[in-house]
Amino acid sequence: MTDSGVKVSVIVADDDPDIRSLVAFATQKAGLDLVDELGNGDDAWDSIVAFKPDLAVLDVAMPGKTGIDLCRLVRAHDEVNGMHIVLLSAAVDEASQQLGRDAGANDYLIKPFSPRELAERLALIAPTIGARA
Amino acid sequence: MKIAALYKRLGFDAPSPLLKQAPTTLLVLVAAVAAMTIPGLLVTSPVAVAIAVIAVGAATVFAAIISPRESLWDWGLCVPAVDFFAIGLLRYGTGNNNTVFAALIALPIVWFAAEEGRKFVVYSAIGAAITVFLPFALGLTIADNLDLFLRAGFTVIVYTFAAAVINEISHTARHRLDKVRKLAEQSRVMLAESVQHAIELKQSEAKVRTAERMFREIWVAVTEQAIIGTDLTGLVDAFNPGAEKMLGVPFGEVQGKLHIDEFHVEEELLERARDLSYPAGATVLNPGFSALVESARLGVAEVREWSYVRADGTTIPIELSVTPRLDKTGEIVGYLFVAYDQTKAREVARLKDEFVGLISHELRTPLSSILGYLELMRDDDETQLSDSQLRYLGVAERNAHRLLRLVGDLLFTAQVESGKFNLDQKEQDLAPILLASVESARPVAAAAGITLHTNVVEGLLVNGDSVRLGQACDNLMSNAIKFTPSGGSVTLGLQPDGDNVVITVQDTGMGIAASELDKLFSRFFRASTATRNAVPGVGLGLVITRAIIRAHGGDMGVTSEEGVGTCFSMTLPVVQPANVLAGA
Repeated sequence: MTDSGVKVSVIVADDDPDIRSLVAFATQKAGLDLVDELGNGDDAWDSIVAFKPDLAVLDVAMPGKTGIDLCRLVRAHDEVNGMHIVLLSAAVDEASQQLGRDAGANDYLIKPFSPRELAERLALIAPTIGARA
Repeated sequence: MKIAALYKRLGFDAPSPLLKQAPTTLLVLVAAVAAMTIPGLLVTSPVAVAIAVIAVGAATVFAAIISPRESLWDWGLCVPAVDFFAIGLLRYGTGNNNTVFAALIALPIVWFAAEEGRKFVVYSAIGAAITVFLPFALGLTIADNLDLFLRAGFTVIVYTFAAAVINEISHTARHRLDKVRKLAEQSRVMLAESVQHAIELKQSEAKVRTAERMFREIWVAVTEQAIIGTDLTGLVDAFNPGAEKMLGVPFGEVQGKLHIDEFHVEEELLERARDLSYPAGATVLNPGFSALVESARLGVAEVREWSYVRADGTTIPIELSVTPRLDKTGEIVGYLFVAYDQTKAREVARLKDEFVGLISHELRTPLSSILGYLELMRDDDETQLSDSQLRYLGVAERNAHRLLRLVGDLLFTAQVESGKFNLDQKEQDLAPILLASVESARPVAAAAGITLHTNVVEGLLVNGDSVRLGQACDNLMSNAIKFTPSGGSVTLGLQPDGDNVVITVQDTGMGIAASELDKLFSRFFRASTATRNAVPGVGLGLVITRAIIRAHGGDMGVTSEEGVGTCFSMTLPVVQPANVLAGA
């Protein structure tokens, strides 16, 4: 929800449909415009190129391209490199988180996460993205 | 040989008194018989002859009695003494000076003279004198028989000289015999000794052969470990079948041709050499080899991970122990390298890490869904849940969280074991971390009817990871509360102790049996009091707590008394605050 009234667009990618719905639910609760839901990394990349969303919530461990791969591709791509990326991972160790940040993720969320907290966090992020957009 | 045997058999080598007497007896008898039977012979006194024969007979009987008993042979000299008298009488009875039996006197003289000692020459002389002067004692007058008297005196002198010569010859002969006997004894002893030595030598030789064969068998039997021996320069001189198999080259191609460092990865050796800042023994040509044997050169066996390069160019991870080879003076003459193939161990470790990662991911993902959807149900704005529904939801959430903690603990334990466990350490006051832990435990303690006390000294600095130290403290607090019945208390203490700080968590709980205290820190171990009282848990908390404390350079301890309570202590090295150091 931005001042101009244009909704921040978001795509969600996770190979687990239940988690995907949970994330989708949180994006909607945060008032974001969910443009696509994907079950694997390759589809996610096609979707990112096609929709050029403002934000992407990506699972790290997915079939095809991983969340980390997608981060790198996004940052290297002229048209979408400004996209805000939230990575989701079940890995708790510092090293994986650092790997995600090095690949260009803006946020790193550890599973299990609270959908309520995710929604609140997305709601906080949205205005900063909207301002830039 | 036969003569010698006969000689010995008759007792001539050590003649008995009877044997010595035998010629005298025989000749006196012959003389007596001759005197009686041969008409031409002059017999002046048949009585004297008879007494002489009786005396010789008595002496012979005496000799016969003592002969079998060697201890009585000292008395044997009585025999020739009697013989002197008897022969004296015989001479007297057969015509004195004109007797045909004058020569008989030689027999007792020889007997005496042959004894050891000069005094026997004197005894012989006395004996001879008695014999030849006896007729004068029995009535002959010197004036009437002056020539006889002079001849007797001369006879004594001659026999005395003869006795002296015999005595000397006997002495010399006896002396020589003793010497020969001693030599014979010595050579017998030496022979016995050398026979013994020969036997021992044979036995030792057999032992050495057995040991050698044993060594060979072991050497050949070691097929999974590579044993390589080198000289001081690393030149290979021993290479077991295990080494042939591990490195893919036969002994013949390496012996005296290759150096041990040629089987190593050069970069690894150079890196180690740099780490040791090029050890003292390093040569310009080969610092890598020096690094390899540095510890062994200093007399310490070393086990370290390296890689071997096989003949086909592939590398294998190994664990290598390097020991010095010593000569008998203790000087290092080379090195022994025993390598264990670590390929399988590495693979197992990798699989374990992979498995733990997989488990962690696969368990956390469904748990994420469960917890997420439970929360959605609770937060649903449209439908209001009843109180009992909310309670059911609470139970489901609590158990999902319990499962999540367990997964976290398992993952953490695995990380600790594989050494992939990082701490985010910084200098900080321990008190706030502990007090926060106590505060978070309050609701659970209150619900269980347990009072919490604190006895915390503030301002004690440690170099620690606040999250991990909090986790360690949480674990002990939650344990203490779980194992303490309602109405009890749990006290958290923090006190300085020399260069350390000691954190204690004391409860008034059910306690732990003394026999179980040492197993307390083993993975999945649960105290019998815990299982008996159905206290939930899987036995990972203390393993994790101790791992955290040890990673901080500290250690844990425990004291307990069943039915009275348990006290866990965690010791951590303290950091002296900068201002204190500056002020000091």
